[in-house]
Order: sequence, then structure tokens, then C-alpha cells
Amino acid sequence: MSNQAQSSSGLTRRTLLKAGSAAAGAVALGGCLSSDDGTDSGGADVSKAFSNCWMCSHNCGQEVTVVDGSVVNITGVDGHPRGSAGPGTEGTLCPKGLAQQDKTHDPKRVKEPHIRKDGELQKVSWDEAFEYTADRLVSFADEYGAETFLDATSWAETSIFRTIWRDLYGSPERISRGIHVCAGPTFVTGGMMGVGSNNRVPDYQNSDYIIAWGRNQLNSFAGQFEAKGTLEAIENRGATLVTIDPQHTITAEKSDKWLPIEPRTDGALALAMANVIIEEELYDEDFVENYTYGFDAYREAAADMPPEDAAEITGIPAEDIREVARGFAEAAPRAGISVWTGTAQMGNGWKATQNITALNGLVGNIDRPGGLRLWEYPGTASFGQVCEQDYTNRAEFREPALKKYDEYSDYPVRHIEGIAHNLVPEMVDNGHINGIVVHHDDPLKDGNADEWVEAIEEMALVISIDAYWNGVSRNADIVLPEATSLEKDTLGTGNWSAYPKHKWVTGGKAAVEPQWNTKPDFDILTGIASAMAEKTDNDDWRIFEQWDSHEEFIDDQLSTLDLTLEELSSGEKNYELVEEYDYEKWKDNDNFVFRFDLDQVGSFAQAAEEAGMDTAPEWIPPGTYGDSTSDEYPLEFYDVRSVFFSHGSNQPHERLRDHFAKRNDLNEEDYRGNYLHLNPKDAEPRGIETGDMVQVESESGSGELMAHVTENARPGFVTAEYGFGETSATPDGEGMNTMTLHDKQMDPITGQVDRHIAVDVKPAGGD
Amino acid sequence: MAVESEHWVFYFDPNRCIGCHACSVSCKQFHGRGSDTDDWRTVTHHQKGTYPDVEDVPLSMSCMHCHDAPCEKVCPTNAIEKRESDGIVTINRDDCIGCKYCGWACPFGAPVYGDDGLMSKCNMCLGRGPGGGADVEDTPKHELEDQVEPNCVSDCVGEAIKAGPQKEIIEEASQAAAERFRSGAVANGRVIVEPLQDSTSAVDGSVGGTKEVTTPYNAGD
Repeated sequence: MSNQAQSSSGLTRRTLLKAGSAAAGAVALGGCLSSDDGTDSGGADVSKAFSNCWMCSHNCGQEVTVVDGSVVNITGVDGHPRGSAGPGTEGTLCPKGLAQQDKTHDPKRVKEPHIRKDGELQKVSWDEAFEYTADRLVSFADEYGAETFLDATSWAETSIFRTIWRDLYGSPERISRGIHVCAGPTFVTGGMMGVGSNNRVPDYQNSDYIIAWGRNQLNSFAGQFEAKGTLEAIENRGATLVTIDPQHTITAEKSDKWLPIEPRTDGALALAMANVIIEEELYDEDFVENYTYGFDAYREAAADMPPEDAAEITGIPAEDIREVARGFAEAAPRAGISVWTGTAQMGNGWKATQNITALNGLVGNIDRPGGLRLWEYPGTASFGQVCEQDYTNRAEFREPALKKYDEYSDYPVRHIEGIAHNLVPEMVDNGHINGIVVHHDDPLKDGNADEWVEAIEEMALVISIDAYWNGVSRNADIVLPEATSLEKDTLGTGNWSAYPKHKWVTGGKAAVEPQWNTKPDFDILTGIASAMAEKTDNDDWRIFEQWDSHEEFIDDQLSTLDLTLEELSSGEKNYELVEEYDYEKWKDNDNFVFRFDLDQVGSFAQAAEEAGMDTAPEWIPPGTYGDSTSDEYPLEFYDVRSVFFSHGSNQPHERLRDHFAKRNDLNEEDYRGNYLHLNPKDAEPRGIETGDMVQVESESGSGELMAHVTENARPGFVTAEYGFGETSATPDGEGMNTMTLHDKQMDPITGQVDRHIAVDVKPAGGD
Repeated sequence: MAVESEHWVFYFDPNRCIGCHACSVSCKQFHGRGSDTDDWRTVTHHQKGTYPDVEDVPLSMSCMHCHDAPCEKVCPTNAIEKRESDGIVTINRDDCIGCKYCGWACPFGAPVYGDDGLMSKCNMCLGRGPGGGADVEDTPKHELEDQVEPNCVSDCVGEAIKAGPQKEIIEEASQAAAERFRSGAVANGRVIVEPLQDSTSAVDGSVGGTKEVTTPYNAGD
């Protein structure tokens, strides 16, 4: 059993009537847990624990029921900032969050540490694994230089990854999900324009007009408050929901208006909306006059895009463009645009997101109720603040290879970012990257897949910290099996949430002991550090020895809030609203300026000039950067997410795979991979029916998967869920790694992977 | 027998259902049922129209715990019981002979059959696992100490599913839903369903309606 004390809270909200005594609660639950043959399992050791969900890292609260050391149920926490619609509302978990239960006890997990001996991965003890890891890291630094080791660790339940790989080992090379493979243009434009990278999450509950722009936020949410907040705004405020999406999604279904836009033309639509808003003088003159920069350049760009021109480009009738522009501006400032990956994962994504974000400045919905909230993090202590020992930061003055070497002078991204996902294989060829540590991720399906597979094979040292066997762990030199979040002490320090005026923290102690011979990431990293201290005689690596456990470290982080993990997670809930903050912070901030034009941002101005783009909003057509369809490849492909899976890490779970098949009415088939969704207009001429296996081919690759013919798909536009097939964590690799179709297409400014690819589709196997 | 108004019913609001299947996954997990077994709660997606004039309505359904419970009436061994106190329909698998009569009698395909040939279905989380709840005393679920809310209700992301005594649930429903329920227009008065907003009657009529609900693949065969 874990060190989690048995909860004294009984069944909390699951109790329909008033809660009885705690003891009665546990006994009653034990009585509930009768086995199949009806015998009572009374006397079982029943406890409750809290956690916060890391399946997609968005921290929805989890309440866990544990019987005899096994998780038997997992559900939401009422009122949770990320998992509910706010005070007095139910907290829930989505299918992938629920699957944390399956993941914890999944026999397909990596159960033991492994190192490669004589070409084979062999089980070893943790001590041997740590010692071997330290040996290899030391010899790698000697032979290739620590600066050529790539930190490709994804989101983690501990914050010390950066300390280990950057500060102590000394690598400046870091690739992460956010900017590089998720929504670089969205994050980075938001920062440069003055509203931060959270320009994607409006204040849903208080909004009168919500635009889901390239987002299916009812099925692909970053915390369930997004779906719940949207539904609440519709129900409680009569809010208007508009969805802009080439696909008909559940969010489109629930919308007052769905604009089935031609893919990659979002930038033109945004400019046309600005055209209407400026022409009809619906904009916030006071805000524009006093708090923005570059309006003239914006006005000129917008003047060049009347709705009639945009209608030609986007396929959206001019009247619909006018209606949405007026609706949005008239509802402002209680009008929010929800935007994320959909308008970012394309070659012209930079301008699309710049033009969309500009609309917020135009109507002045910045940091106002129902608009674009400037969310804030709580004041937990940073590593530097709680660290009582000195150490030498070895990466501080090291420049990443992309910025340092002439080989990359043709890539404008080097002015903005230290690395680009698609360029890593080239950097391996050039000897500028020679090793990698990957945590809870699979970069082999995030873009440029074929070259990445080769790059992983070429690298001198590959370390995988993961719960599953996938394309990286199977090919690694060292595999360190990671515990799931239910087996760890966790702390989440959120910002955007169902509480727009409060900062908050959430956390919990491990619900169960790490299953098999696995360890939480904190223990894995400190284990490596201790071995490095022994191996190098450098006491910097002993820095983590000041904490006996992750809980102690978390308590130090929480010390600024006068909280401990125990206090946070031992009541009826596992979150605290810790600090209040108000709207319209920019009013008291002399430094605040909303930039329509980015000519004052030197790094961007330089990158833009090299990429051949203006610094102000403008319309850049698809194909300027990245793919164009052709006679040979007449269909546009894009890969999408499903509510059942998060980045592949829960794709091995059979319950989810079966429900995913049911979602597509294909559960009668044995196939459990991803699906190619295509319109009958594209399927029929090619002789393709639902359930057929089809081959998708692009100029640089191909793959096979099952067809799902549906009217939800836009003619000429085909999609598939990403994360399946070759290199994925599914045991049989069923389905298709969508990024085998991909080459180096990217947004030239941020290097964000451009996932729109020109393809053709035909029946597979020729029968 | 307790009056119908005290019997438990499910409530479903298709306007708040986001088709995510969390209800179905959480049911499987709570009852420890394997991935390859049929669902006690199913989510189906009803699509019509041609792009871009498409409608795609998700529906979540389970055993309705019918007031007239046709499954109970046809069961030759009386293994199926509609509890007098709260109307929850349970199955005593010791008495089940796997004849599948109930599967054919049920208009919703609620009874499902495992590899053991025996029937199982939703018990409103009166107990856990196949056959769960059959041994629970016949006191109304809402009066049993520390009874849990059905997991599908607890875990519904859109808060589209509710369950409880009919008189309580009907008070929380819209007037339109209550009237439709009382008139027996929807599923013969077995489940309280909110009318679908901004939709055509053709799609609306299929929500829980017995005529359009085909006997699914998991009914007795």
C-alpha cells in the first residue's frame, strides 16, 4: 500500500444521501465490491486518494478508489478548476483520463529497467541501470560533448528535468511539445503581440460569444472546464457558439453557426472580419487608440480583404463573414476566441494566428470578463528559490547548434527558436546532435517520421523514460520504466481554469505503490544524479540530496502558499484557490501594449524578412510554405486528435481502442488502428467504402489504414487520428503513423510542424 | 410495490451530450468488465444529411429499468427481478440459464451475454460487476446507506445523464421533457429525454424512441 492514509472523507459526492460515518462508508463500499459470484469482499482494505490527470497534462482532478492496493475506480473532483465548470458543479474525467486506471495496472507496461548489452535490451536492477546511465553520459560528454545531447522530455510530474539536463549535464538543446509540434505560431505570436501564449483560452463561462476557431473543444479539450464552460455559457448566458472548421465536429454540431472553411484560409477570414469591424466602426476605439501599436498597418491589410474577396478564398459566403464579424464585435468585450493547434499546424500558420489574435486587440476584449483572459500562475516557489545549494549552470552560455552553425542559415526559425522538430535528423547527420533523452513521448510520430526513425538509430546514446514500449524505447540503449501519475506524488500549478479570478494549485499523494519495478520520474532523475555524483566526483549532482522524497520537494514548492501536499489532498477535494487577481491588468501597466505590427520585435522582423513576409497582419495563401495539392496528389491531408487518446501514451488501452472503433461504427472489424475519414465524393470515384483498407500516399511517403467514409468530412480534405502505426505504443503497431507522409514542411518562423500534406488515396492491396 | 414515481429512472439530455463515451468507459471500469465484452451503456452517433448540411447527434443509452420490464416478464426462471422498492432491474446469475429470451424481449438491447452464456446488464450501480445488485436488500437505492451514484452519471462530462427516483428527476427536467415523458411519447415512458434543440423532428424522434431503435448486435442471437 502507499503511504496514503485511508481517507476519512468517506465517499464524498458519490454518496447520494448525506454521508454516513467514515467507517460506515468504507464498509459499505467494501460491501459494494462483491465479486462475480456474489460473495462479499468485506474486510478489503479500501481507501480513497486524490491525483490530477497527466494523460494530456491538463490536471483535471481525480478521485481514486483503491482496494487492496489496486485502483478500482477513478472519477472527477467536484468544483475542480480544470475538471469542472467551477464552484458547485461536478468534476469529471474524459475517457483518456479514466484510462489512467487501466494504464496503472496494464500488463503491457515496461516493468523493469533495461540496458542494451550485446545488442539486446536486457533487464537489470535499478542500481545497475543508474550506474550504466551515468557511465554512458560521462563517456558521451567526453566523446561528443554534452551540448550535443538533446533533451526531448515532454510534460512531467516533476519540474527537475530542466535542472538535470540543462543546468547540470549542460545541454542547450531542448525540444518540447508546445512550440515545436503543438501550436508554435499560436504560442509565439501571443507572446510577441502582448497577450502571452495563453491567447488561446478565453474566459468561457462569462462569454456571450465564443468562436471555436479550428478547435473541437467539446471533444478535444485542455481540461474539461473548456467543454463544460462552453456548455454553461450557452445554457446560462444564452451565448452564441460559432465553429470555424473544415470538418463537421461535435463542436460544430452544437454551434449556432458552423463555418465550413476551406483549409488553411483562416488568415483571410480573420482579415475580412477585421475589414467589416473597422469599416462599420464596431471596434473599440479607446483600446485601439490608447493601448495598441501598429493599427495603421493592420487597417491597410484589412482594407485589402473585403468579405467578397475572402468568400472566394475561404468558401464562406460574404454575408456569413459579416454576420460573425458583427456578432463578435457587438458582443465584445464578452467575446472570446478559442484557438490552438488547428490554425497553427500549417505552413502559413504564423499569419493565420497573428490575424486571428489581432481581432482581440481590435474589439478590446483583452483581459475582460468573457473575453481573452490574461491568466496567471500561482506563486509557488521555483527550483532556484527552494534550492539551498549552489551549482554551476553548465548550459547557460551555450548556444544551440541551430543558431551557432552556418549549415542552418537558410532556416528563418533560427532567429526565434533554438531547434525545430523537423530539422533534428539533419542535425544528427551534421554531428550537432548525437544523443537524446525522451520522456513520455514519441517524437517519431510528431513529424518527418522516416528521417527521425533513422536518426534515432544513428544516435550514439538514446535514453527512454517511459511507461510503454514504443519506437524510442524499443530502440533505446537505456530504458527506465516510469510510474504512472497514480503511483506518484503530484503537484499541478495551473492558470487558465473555471475560476477566472483565482490562481490555483492541485495535487495528490500516490494512490498506489509503483506497480512492478517502476519508479516515479522524480526518483529516476535523482537516481541518475546520484550515480553522476559518484562517477564524476562533482558535488553539483548532489543537489537533490537535500530532499528525501518528491513530497518534500513539493512541500518546498508549496511553502510560499503556506500549504503542504498533505493539506492539499486530505479533505473533500484536492485543489486550493490561492490568490485572487482582477481583470484589466493592462490599465495599471505602463508597459502594456498590444502589437498589431511586430516590426519592433527584432528577432521576428529578421525571420520574417528572410521568410519573405511582412511584420504586420497580411494574407499568405496556402502553399507559400509547405504543400500544394496537384493532379498527382489532389487531396489535402491533415491529422487530428480523438477524445480517447492523448499523444499515443494511452493508445495501448483496449477499452479506449474498442470505444474508438465504436465511435466510428467499425467495432465489428478486427482492426483497431486509426481511420482515414473521407467524404463520399472522394471515396466513390476511388472505389472506397467504409471498412476498406486504403493506401495514402504523399510525395515523400505512404501508409495503410482503414477508411471511414463520412459526410462529416469535407470533400477534398481527408483526416486521420495521429499517433498510431509504426513506432507507436500499441503492441501490434496497427494503423498508420501519419507522419510517414511528412517531410520537412513547417511554419518558417517557429519551425512548428506543418501537418497539411498533399496526398492521394487508393484501395490498398489492389483487391 | 412502491409507486412508479419512486422508481429510479435515467434522464438524458442530447443537447449536453458531447459524444465522448466517458459514460461507457467508466461503466466498464467500475464493473470490472473486459474490453471485449458488450457495453451496458452504449453511445451511438446518428448522422444524416450531406456535407455541409450535416447533423450528427450522439445518444447514450443503457437499460431503462422499464416500468413494464419486458425482460422480467419473459424470464422462465425468474432470474430477473424488478425491485419493488426502487424499480431497479437486477439479474441473479445463479438462476440465469442463458436462454436469451430477455435479449429478444428488450427493445433496447440492454441485456448482453458473456462468454459464460449468462445475461448481464446495467444495475444502476446498485452493485458491482455482472449480477451485482441482485443480493442487495430491497430498500430503495436512495435510502441505502452510502449508495453510490451510477458511475455513468458521475462521469458524464457534459452532465447529460441523470438518475434517481422519477419524481425527483422529473422536477429537474424541462417542462417539455416532463410532458413528453408523461405522455409516453419517448420510449414508452421509460427514460426522460430532453427535446433536441435546433434540430429536425426526424432526428429528434429517434432519441430513445422504440420504433427507430433497432435490436443491436449484442441482443440475443
